[in-house]
Amino acid sequence: MLKLRDAATGIKIIISLIVLVVVMLISCCLGSVRIPIPDIIKTLTNSEEISKATRTIILQVRFPRIIMSALIGGSLASIGAVMQGLFKNPMADASVLGISSGSALGATIMMVSGVSFSVFGITGNYLGAIVGAVVTWLIVYNIARISGDYDLNTTLLAGIAISSIFTAIITVIMTMNKDRLEQIYLWMLGTFSNSTPSKTLIMSIVVLILMPILIIIAPRIDVLKLGKEAAKGLGVSSSSSSAILLTVSSILLAFCVANSGIIGFIGLIIPHCVSFMRVYKMRSKLIMSFLVGAIFTVICDTIAKTVAAPGEIAIGAITSLIGAPYFLYLMLTGLRRERKMR
Amino acid sequence: MNIELKNVTHKYGSYVAINDLTTTFNEASISMILGPNGCGKTTLLKYLINHCEEYGNSMAYVPQETTGSLNTTVRDVLSLGRYNKSKFYIRETAEDKRIIDEVIAEFGLEDFLSRNVDTLSAGEKQRVFIARAIIQDADWTLLDEPTANLDVKYADKLMRIIKDHRSRGKSFVIVIHDINLASLHADNILLMKSGVKIASGAPSEALTLTSLKSAYDIDFISADIEGHKVFINSVGN
Repeated sequence: MLKLRDAATGIKIIISLIVLVVVMLISCCLGSVRIPIPDIIKTLTNSEEISKATRTIILQVRFPRIIMSALIGGSLASIGAVMQGLFKNPMADASVLGISSGSALGATIMMVSGVSFSVFGITGNYLGAIVGAVVTWLIVYNIARISGDYDLNTTLLAGIAISSIFTAIITVIMTMNKDRLEQIYLWMLGTFSNSTPSKTLIMSIVVLILMPILIIIAPRIDVLKLGKEAAKGLGVSSSSSSAILLTVSSILLAFCVANSGIIGFIGLIIPHCVSFMRVYKMRSKLIMSFLVGAIFTVICDTIAKTVAAPGEIAIGAITSLIGAPYFLYLMLTGLRRERKMR
Repeated sequence: MNIELKNVTHKYGSYVAINDLTTTFNEASISMILGPNGCGKTTLLKYLINHCEEYGNSMAYVPQETTGSLNTTVRDVLSLGRYNKSKFYIRETAEDKRIIDEVIAEFGLEDFLSRNVDTLSAGEKQRVFIARAIIQDADWTLLDEPTANLDVKYADKLMRIIKDHRSRGKSFVIVIHDINLASLHADNILLMKSGVKIASGAPSEALTLTSLKSAYDIDFISADIEGHKVFINSVGN
């Protein structure tokens, strides 16, 4: 029976992978210029028949953006799964650590300071967001271990408090710099339109390093759910495991926010969707959350860039507009099923 | 190896939960800790698990209540009992599977293996978490009020399972409120009050009308029924 279940999870992962590739290809077709799929494949296989312009659109514009949206959507969903598992709270997501607000503050400060530079595609906002996130995490982390051992509840409370302080500071900065209001506001809404090949490359490397760490230590989250002492008996220290998991998640999140601004809802709903697919073990759940999050985000971004073309709709609005009703639907069917069982 | 505690004191801030406690928990036996609420029983169990490196690494622990949403199946929870047997916990070995199946049969959990733990009743959950600890196959198993949510039938079944594992050399330290269950099944008793030891030893020595009176501040009466000593608190006297 167990083997059967493992196999079922494997099949779900393979199907999700195939869907992701298909969705990415379709997304690459769509945009201000429609490019047929065979042309995309020919470009990828380095065929000479494709015009230089098309090649540039595909390789320099569309692919970086699609890969970026997949990487970030996947990362946000996996981070959400880690948070919900670690805090044993279905409402938790990346925002509870205050990292997003810290990033936003860092980026905002850079935007109003007028410092602008670009090294290897890295801009001032980008750097500000990373530094903001890291500083925030250091503050929250150090508050959380004030009593000696690292404590999860304190993390949650400190994160929420820090988050509201930073949001308030951003509001103050925004009102004092009305000329930058639009720039800051749009940044905070989130977009993938700033994706460049070099940024996408950096994000790929970050994901390739950090996701495997999360996936390898994911079962510790399962063990921690049994309680601190029971976990201790199984050789898992609550404080050091939480500290590692949250630090890795924070760094990953810092890069997500630096690249795309704040995109809500993915981290909250995707892990639940994966639970509804009956994937529960944290390791499989992280992998599935990554894939489903990537699929969802690529679809949302495709809608964001095509529906109002040549303009764009903020990706955050699309994720919520599609995500929230779908989430309600899943929740209602789940509740109905439970009522039937009673 | 026996666990010997010497002059153990444990504080929460300025509150002394365990006060200068010296006692021994014997190997391959069932030790039960009794005492009024807040006397330091749970703190003592947590003290043991947190110092498991000193008292032999292999300890399993089941809290009074496992809180929060686990959102996973019963079978997955049981499988966690084997977490520390392999390095990366990638898949169950044949040995893991054999032990898990054995315990599933022992506890009669066959019918709800694929159910979500969050949807189980308190008693069902308790059986699952205790089974998880037994699957861990540790030298010492620490249980905090394992029978609190169990009906008489399952409490009895649990005691049989525990005795069976003791006969295979496993040791148990159990916090319990039921004096008669302790009197009937324990090899050793530790009776506590306000973090201090009131009495310890075999049930017949440790559980007396005087020791119970000084632990709980109420009067008890006792009777011998078919060779077993039974205690009842004498309500209203």
